Amino acid sequence: MRKLLLFCSMLVMLAAAAFAQTRQITGTVADKDGRPLPGVSIIVLETQKATSTDIKGKFSIQASVGQTIRFSYVGVKPVTVKITAATNNLAVAFKEGNTDLNEVVVTGYTSERKKDLTGAVSVVNVADIQDIPEGNAMKELQGRVPGVTVSTDGSPAGTVTVRIRGIGTLGDNDPLYVIDGMPTERGLQEINQDDIASIQVLKDASAASIYGSRAANGVIIITTKKAKAGTSRIDFSGNTSVEFYASQLSVLNTEQHGEAYWRASVNDGTNPNNNQTYQYQWNGDYNNPVLNKIILPEYLDAAQTLKPANTNWFDEISQPSVVQSYSMSVSNGTEKGNSLFSMSYYDNNGIIKQSQDQKITVRFNSDYNLLDGKLKVGETLSATYMRDVLLPAADITNYALLDEPAEPVYTVTGGWGGPGPGMSDSQNPVRLIDENAQNKNYFGRVFGNAYAELQILPGFHFKTSIGADYALNYSRQLQYSYVSGFVSDPTNQVSTSQSYDGNTVWQNTLTYDKTFGKSKLNLLAGEENINYINQTFAGSGQGLAIENINYAYLSAATTNILNSGSGYGYALLSFFGKANYDYDGKYLLSATLRRDGSSRFGSNNQFGTFPAASAGWRISEESFIKDNAPAISDLKLRYGWGQTGNQEIANNGTYTLYSAIYGTNLTGEFDTGTAYNISGASSGTLPSGFALIQTGNNNLKWETSTQSNFGLDYGFFNNKITGSFDYFIKNTTGILISPAYLAVLGEGGNTYVNGASMRNTGYEAVVNYANQLSHDWGINVSANISSYRNIVTQLPSNVLSSYPGNGTTETILGRSINSIFGYVADGLFTTQAEVNNSAAQPGKGLGRIRYADLNGDGVINNLDQQYIGNFDPKFSYGLNVNVKYKNFNLSFFFQGVQGNDVYNTYKEITDFTSIDPGANWGTRVLQAWTPQNPTSTIPALTLVDNNDEARGSSYYVENGSYCKLRNLQLSYNLNDALKKYKIRNAKVYIQGSNLLIIKSKSYTDPDPENSTNEFPIPVITTIGFDLSL
Amino acid sequence: MKTKILIAALLFVLCASCKKALEEQPQGVISSADLNTPDNVDAMVIAAYSALGNDYWAAPYSSMWAYGSIRSGDAYKGGDGPGDVPDFHAYETFSLNRVDIGTTDVTWYRLYIGIGRANDALGRIENMSLTNYPDKMAREGEVRFLRAHFYFLLKILYKRVPWIDETIPKASYDTVSNVSYSSDALWTKIANDFRFAAANLPTSQPQVGRPTKYAAQSYLAKTLLYQAYTQDNNNNVTGIDQTKLAEVNTLCDSVINSGVYSLEPDFADNFLTADENGTESVFAIQYSINDGTPDGRVDNGHSLDYPMNAAFGCCGFHVPSHNLINAFQTDSTGLPLFNTFNNNDVIQNNSYLTSTFDPRIDHTAAIPGHPYKYEPAQIYQNSWARDPSIYGYLLSMKETVAADDPSFKKFPPFMSSSKNWAIIRYADVLLMKAEALIEMNQETAALPLINMVRQRAANSTARLKQADGTPISNYKISTYQPGVNCVWTNDYARQALRFERRLEFAMEGYRFFDLVRWGVAASYLNTYFAAEKSRVGQLQSAQFTKNRDEYMPIPLNQINLSKNLYKQNTGW
Repeated sequence: MRKLLLFCSMLVMLAAAAFAQTRQITGTVADKDGRPLPGVSIIVLETQKATSTDIKGKFSIQASVGQTIRFSYVGVKPVTVKITAATNNLAVAFKEGNTDLNEVVVTGYTSERKKDLTGAVSVVNVADIQDIPEGNAMKELQGRVPGVTVSTDGSPAGTVTVRIRGIGTLGDNDPLYVIDGMPTERGLQEINQDDIASIQVLKDASAASIYGSRAANGVIIITTKKAKAGTSRIDFSGNTSVEFYASQLSVLNTEQHGEAYWRASVNDGTNPNNNQTYQYQWNGDYNNPVLNKIILPEYLDAAQTLKPANTNWFDEISQPSVVQSYSMSVSNGTEKGNSLFSMSYYDNNGIIKQSQDQKITVRFNSDYNLLDGKLKVGETLSATYMRDVLLPAADITNYALLDEPAEPVYTVTGGWGGPGPGMSDSQNPVRLIDENAQNKNYFGRVFGNAYAELQILPGFHFKTSIGADYALNYSRQLQYSYVSGFVSDPTNQVSTSQSYDGNTVWQNTLTYDKTFGKSKLNLLAGEENINYINQTFAGSGQGLAIENINYAYLSAATTNILNSGSGYGYALLSFFGKANYDYDGKYLLSATLRRDGSSRFGSNNQFGTFPAASAGWRISEESFIKDNAPAISDLKLRYGWGQTGNQEIANNGTYTLYSAIYGTNLTGEFDTGTAYNISGASSGTLPSGFALIQTGNNNLKWETSTQSNFGLDYGFFNNKITGSFDYFIKNTTGILISPAYLAVLGEGGNTYVNGASMRNTGYEAVVNYANQLSHDWGINVSANISSYRNIVTQLPSNVLSSYPGNGTTETILGRSINSIFGYVADGLFTTQAEVNNSAAQPGKGLGRIRYADLNGDGVINNLDQQYIGNFDPKFSYGLNVNVKYKNFNLSFFFQGVQGNDVYNTYKEITDFTSIDPGANWGTRVLQAWTPQNPTSTIPALTLVDNNDEARGSSYYVENGSYCKLRNLQLSYNLNDALKKYKIRNAKVYIQGSNLLIIKSKSYTDPDPENSTNEFPIPVITTIGFDLSL
Repeated sequence: MKTKILIAALLFVLCASCKKALEEQPQGVISSADLNTPDNVDAMVIAAYSALGNDYWAAPYSSMWAYGSIRSGDAYKGGDGPGDVPDFHAYETFSLNRVDIGTTDVTWYRLYIGIGRANDALGRIENMSLTNYPDKMAREGEVRFLRAHFYFLLKILYKRVPWIDETIPKASYDTVSNVSYSSDALWTKIANDFRFAAANLPTSQPQVGRPTKYAAQSYLAKTLLYQAYTQDNNNNVTGIDQTKLAEVNTLCDSVINSGVYSLEPDFADNFLTADENGTESVFAIQYSINDGTPDGRVDNGHSLDYPMNAAFGCCGFHVPSHNLINAFQTDSTGLPLFNTFNNNDVIQNNSYLTSTFDPRIDHTAAIPGHPYKYEPAQIYQNSWARDPSIYGYLLSMKETVAADDPSFKKFPPFMSSSKNWAIIRYADVLLMKAEALIEMNQETAALPLINMVRQRAANSTARLKQADGTPISNYKISTYQPGVNCVWTNDYARQALRFERRLEFAMEGYRFFDLVRWGVAASYLNTYFAAEKSRVGQLQSAQFTKNRDEYMPIPLNQINLSKNLYKQNTGW
């Protein structure tokens, strides 16, 4: 009976609807900040007609006067509007903030709401990083996006290495960047950080597969800012920082160095006075030596130009340095179109003296609506200019470490100091700084695209986009003639080089959006054309009459004038399609298919196909949750599977090629030249031949990664607590390698093959807590943790020895590619009995390292090696805390890695006087083992490494775990103070980067993040402001 | 309709762009097929020559000093302690040598690059007709000479190596084992290449860099001399093949009787740029400078061997041993002290003016207080040494030039010169013949040959003067005069020959291979280590293992790459 009643009433309602004055109600829905909200559920309560807003927040629905429309959206209180006769073009705005679930996420040629995502996509909170002056937005992602590893040095140019979900291949592991729809392999150091509106990281294959052949290492999608409709504003920001070199190694001064040398010589039983710098007064008793006095000569050299000094080379090369960053943008948005113009200036003086990176960027983004909004034409255009001082920074820091303290910076007459007799043949790093400061690299890049989007039929759009990304690079360097101790070069030289590279990208897409009933369908089909070109030339000449950068052009050179040039290119052609299906906001399905062709592959396999599919179930939309568990505001299960590719090999891998190699640079490498002085004339032009440079493989094809991703997104207590968890399995097969080959093949035996496989598994978890505790107090905590395991699953057996291991019984198969192989250092020999009773080990003795006889054959040889470490961390984590009190905001961010090994090569000089005997050493050598200091773990000092302690061993493997306070910021919002002025937003702040490091005790040097000789990572303190009018 | 047009347009775009869009021609390179013209085949021959000197300091093979000199008791590695190029330290001590040392693998690879270039050129030459390519036979002779040279170096280093020639398709290279040929058969393969070269090369060449018939005969003689000392599988010398010795003798006669060659009047002429390609040069690597390449095609195999003063500045490698310096001492009659030379430590006792010396000491070694490279204004100083607390103060000098020499070239931190480096000089032909005669019990016939070499040494003191005109050291040298200063028995002659080779070719890179050829390496070197250990620091763990250290190990990397097709040398 009740059913019948219900049925009748429904009939009545239908009839009413049919006879009422129904009309089309249109409008827009926006969030509290006025941003259009896509995907808002709209229902006419009386008729149960439903729809949702499109990507621009627009909707259209049939309703009649007197009926009520309800607008609802996850995490927000619904809004209801009664239709009146006057209702026209409704503009609905939610009063509360909506959660990031409604953020629009760009997912490859199109965009989706975050809550509809079925792949593993991380969205970076750009606000968290906008004021950090590192010159490269990617630097700031370290620890903020789980599964993304960013490694960097402290150089002003801000280059970084980004790895998504670990090392996935043996070749190029760089992710693909997509900036405003344009794929590029350049990183973000050339982009103004303030221009970035959003950064999204597509980690799994189901998300990235739409980018096909280049997506195997993940995709980072950047969208730049656009003006907002109906607003015009001006933004300024600026900050000034001071950087400090805080991670210096502790090295010996002149007196200490002399003492260490004496100790080493006495340990060896040789006469310590048999050296060219120090003379010693000592008791002459080798069994119980006592040093009374160290005497330095008046001059180090016979020519009497170098007085013994006590140089602290680190102090000589470094400085507290200033970084300045300013940016400004003007934006204006109207119904007809939007435009945004921005400029920025960045000037980073590095902590190595004279190092500098200057950057100016300009951007103009605009779009126009034509034909009643059916045609949209727009463009994004950016130009970057960078100027860098070309300092050999790695050499400078290396020499600062290696040069003896007794070596003076200058001679007595003001010339360059340098090594004296008996010292290492290393350069005076102060000279390297001084004589390279005038050498600069100039870089310019234009990057942008123009597009037109036409609505052909309702829901049916065609978009074409033509983009260009071209860079020009020019450098000119003057190399001075010099004398610096016994190292000298009488030749001066000017060298210039220029390169031009870039690509055009032409994309065409068709999209179709359709809602029927509770179902929503989005279809995408497209095509993409990329043509890359690179051309370079360079020249050099010697014999400049004067050594001045203003004179040093190629035309001024008089001798040894050389030139060179090269070029290459590649092309990609791709077709792709995507379908998204959403039923009632509960069941989400997505499928993509991409077919890619590359000029890099053989005609047999030029095209590859990359499919992917994913599904999501928004459990929280089910009534059994909604009704029974109100604490659960969002819960979504995701699963994705897909394939992505990698084509990062040389452009001509399919060809067998010969090259004329007239001459090569001889310093430190084998000559591969093909010219020969057959006539014996000793100079003049030589006849030249050709050398095989590679063997082609016409069967080359894409390297393929197949990835499964299990994900869970959640939100509790009205989304006060949100987060996600992802688990992935990624198998990469047919990895493109150019394996080591049998030497009898000679040169050019190198050939690319699809030869290896590896597997990465891992998880990523994020949890956020956001709560407005009271009117004055607010808190936001975000924590993440991630981990991955890498396993090499297949390698051709004959190339196993190219990777850590012995190639036969101990191989990298089944292990991480980041494994360390070597001898096991089993402590020191502390008694003669231990020496006598140990395995045969050439050079063994008291105080020497004992290597473990792993195979027990009584001899220490190359068979006594095993895996002694793994560079992969057990897990990585980040913790960001943001506390707000009234107008104050305090945030701090910790980042760390745990359980990784590092191979500390610094130990060769911090712990040994024998491995680099002509260098300076670390202060640790002063605590080395002696019979009088029997508990030391640092081997006894010696001048001769007869025990081969430089060999790769566990002595150098240390725990590289660390936790760093990456950023600490205190800001004050001036909005209230400046209320009477027309100011939208004003903020001042102070902050510090890398202020604190907690590291493992077993790591013996200052910074485990920098265990090889790279540009040191500075401590940075900053003061700055943001202002919007 | 509009839609259909658009879709059609789009499809058209897609199809039109398909194939053409992916065409990318390689830039700045050339295909194999384009190289088969006469000019380009000649160029491929030049590329094979180019490999002669394409080494550098880390694994030199243009000069064999790192394998033949510092392993022979004549020299130490030098440089900044044992950790500076530690692979060479391992060679010097033998006990630290391993199967996985990088230099051993790289040197093997680099020599096969030379062989690869030769085989590539040979394949092309053989496909040319005599009409199109009139120089065909001579060019084939040249390239087979070059290939045999690279195999010769491989053979003396590694004993058993895979023989790859132009008849083997590249796809089959991985089926060729290093033990496919016996050690002796491998010598025969090398000899056959030289034999072909000797038969087809002209007696003189318009371009001095190309080998002549006589160069090929000399190298064939050298090969046969090595082959004549037969070895068992454990590297023990088991006998001397008289037939081969006879052929060595005949070949040397042909070279000697050609009248093309003679000993330079002054030993120094062999080690100065001004007289390169002189009368004593049988085959030499031709280097060049100011030739349009960035640093010149210079002698980079010796670029570690310069002193540490301001005029040079790197790197102090290749240091004459105390033992070698002592060996230059002579007795009261001017003959070497075969058995007692090492009793007086010349360096320790600074007895250059009190003992008597063969003049070749000051052509060979840079010694504190003595002029460097014959320039009295450039006195070699203690401060020019790199790491005297370990290796002492001396340096090798034959391979270097003075800083003001026009052939000198700096490419910081290294330096070298365009001075040629001799692979075979005429003195070697004379002493090879003498060696063959002695081993054929014709020591009397050998005597004048050895004395020619000694007499030239005796005549080579004009440049060995201090600024004031006094001799640098106290020279006293005479020829062997049986009945006057010696008794010329067969044994004595053998001793004299072997000592003469040491003094004449000291620091030139082949001494260790002489010791192995004669079968005396183990006893000789262990005796040397016993005394030398007390003089320098780096030899504390040195030990020569008989039946192993006569040869380098086959590089472990190559055994792995061959999937164990290659077999390791005995003892390793």
